[in-house]
Amino acid sequence: MAIIVNLDVMMAKRKISSNELAEKIDITPANLSILKTGKAKAVRFSTLDKICKVLDCQPGDILEWREDD
Amino acid sequence: MWTKTKSLLLSRILTMVTGGIVLILTFFVPAFSQWYEKKSLGRGLFGESGIALPMCICLYICEILALIALYELHVLLENINREQVFTQRNTACLRRISWACMLAGASFAVFGLWKFVFLLPAMLAVMFGLIMRVLKNVFEKAVEIKSENDFTV
Repeated sequence: MAIIVNLDVMMAKRKISSNELAEKIDITPANLSILKTGKAKAVRFSTLDKICKVLDCQPGDILEWREDD
Repeated sequence: MWTKTKSLLLSRILTMVTGGIVLILTFFVPAFSQWYEKKSLGRGLFGESGIALPMCICLYICEILALIALYELHVLLENINREQVFTQRNTACLRRISWACMLAGASFAVFGLWKFVFLLPAMLAVMFGLIMRVLKNVFEKAVEIKSENDFTV
């Protein structure tokens, strides 16, 4: 996939667990896992907004574009 | 009061009853074919006599296809009852039903060589198969949209 989700990197930097983040951004741990593992097909702006707010980062810190092989 | 659950139950009962009727009719196919041979007036490419055997074969093929289609309908209704509507499995069911109808149409079309009048049910079966195929395409797209929706965080 061309879009890479670096959420786990940011979470490690901010030292926050998956359950804690899921609770703070008000999504289920299962959905957060889908996002972390790159299985998500779309991310709502509202979810992105909450993640950026909680992790104090920019969308570019979480999402990265790479050309397909 | 008429509800969705009752409607689903009625569909399931009708599917089973139809399956039972098709199974019972299996025993009367040879007798019906012989009776039809004596009574029918229509014409075909291969003359007017000796149609009992091809008719038997055609009807048996159609019965097998009808039973396959009814079984797939039963599976489809079971899945809908379990709230699993837009799934790959249901799309496969619709595809098999569509092929069953198309093949039944082909079977009738071949028998139409003996009696031209059978070209009409052949066309109807193919038409129904085509409708089921379009429905399958719609279902396939719905499965894709649902999957995208499920993976939107």
